Amino acid sequence: MNSTADRAVNTYLERLDADLADLPRARRREIVDEIAEHIAEARAELPTESEAETRSLLERLGDPADIAADARQRFGVVPARPGWMETAALVLLLFGGFVFGVGWIIGLVLLWSSAVWTPWEKLLGTLVVPGGLAGSFFLFSLWAVSADSGHGTGPCLDTNTNRTIECGSGGGSNVLPLVGIGLLFVAPLITTAYLALRMRRRAELVRA
Amino acid sequence: MAQEALLAQMRRGTLQYCVLALLADEERYGFDLVRALAEVDGMVTGEGTIYPLLSRLRRDRLVETTWQESPTGPPRRYYRLTEAGQASLEGFLREWGRFRDAVDHFVERKAS
Repeated sequence: MNSTADRAVNTYLERLDADLADLPRARRREIVDEIAEHIAEARAELPTESEAETRSLLERLGDPADIAADARQRFGVVPARPGWMETAALVLLLFGGFVFGVGWIIGLVLLWSSAVWTPWEKLLGTLVVPGGLAGSFFLFSLWAVSADSGHGTGPCLDTNTNRTIECGSGGGSNVLPLVGIGLLFVAPLITTAYLALRMRRRAELVRA
Repeated sequence: MAQEALLAQMRRGTLQYCVLALLADEERYGFDLVRALAEVDGMVTGEGTIYPLLSRLRRDRLVETTWQESPTGPPRRYYRLTEAGQASLEGFLREWGRFRDAVDHFVERKAS
């Protein structure tokens, strides 16, 4: 199998799947499966497995956005138009946790009731990171407390020898937690940025 | 531009009956259907749009599908006309004949 041609096909199918997000799940599966099957049949008939031929095959199929627009019309699905609810969802997911956690829950409800994102994207928004930035602070404080009690508070007793020894301050292992803390705060930002990008793409689809 | 949009709408509206007509005599699988439609110039612009149509026809029970073994590769989904699909096609053919004759009656004098 030619890997660049495979990649082109995968990208195409992923885009199609995402663009069909506001169709009923079963319909979306059916259309994507059938088009994947179509591509496999068409590729089997190609004399060579060249990337150029695969691309022209995908071109004949048409832009995923056009197929999705056609599908929406056929099924009478009103295109999901990103609005203030979606913006509110993203803001609340990121900062809502600071309002006694309630804000984040409201953000979550808005996220899942929107038709703009796919279930997979919603799951990502839910799990990375629960509570948003407040969740990051919470996890960070847990780590700080446990790290604090672990070392540096003075000498401690070795139970075997009953002698006081220096507790390990773990100088070398300090780098890893730092990277972890960085990720903890960056992850919700990246997730929000990604969801915002997907939202913009949907807005463009509606206008097209 | 307006004319282009009208042609696109006409193509869209009639495509479903072309698909039903292709299925009137034999079962076909998706790729085979697309190939038959693409052979005739001017009928399909993006081949991929056949699949939402097939999905819609299936939901409306104008066609039904069965899985059948293929000589090469995985099993294929074959589409076949239902009785409702047959009736829908026949209804369209009657109206289409009348409509086409009516339009021809007025525009062909100009064309010749």
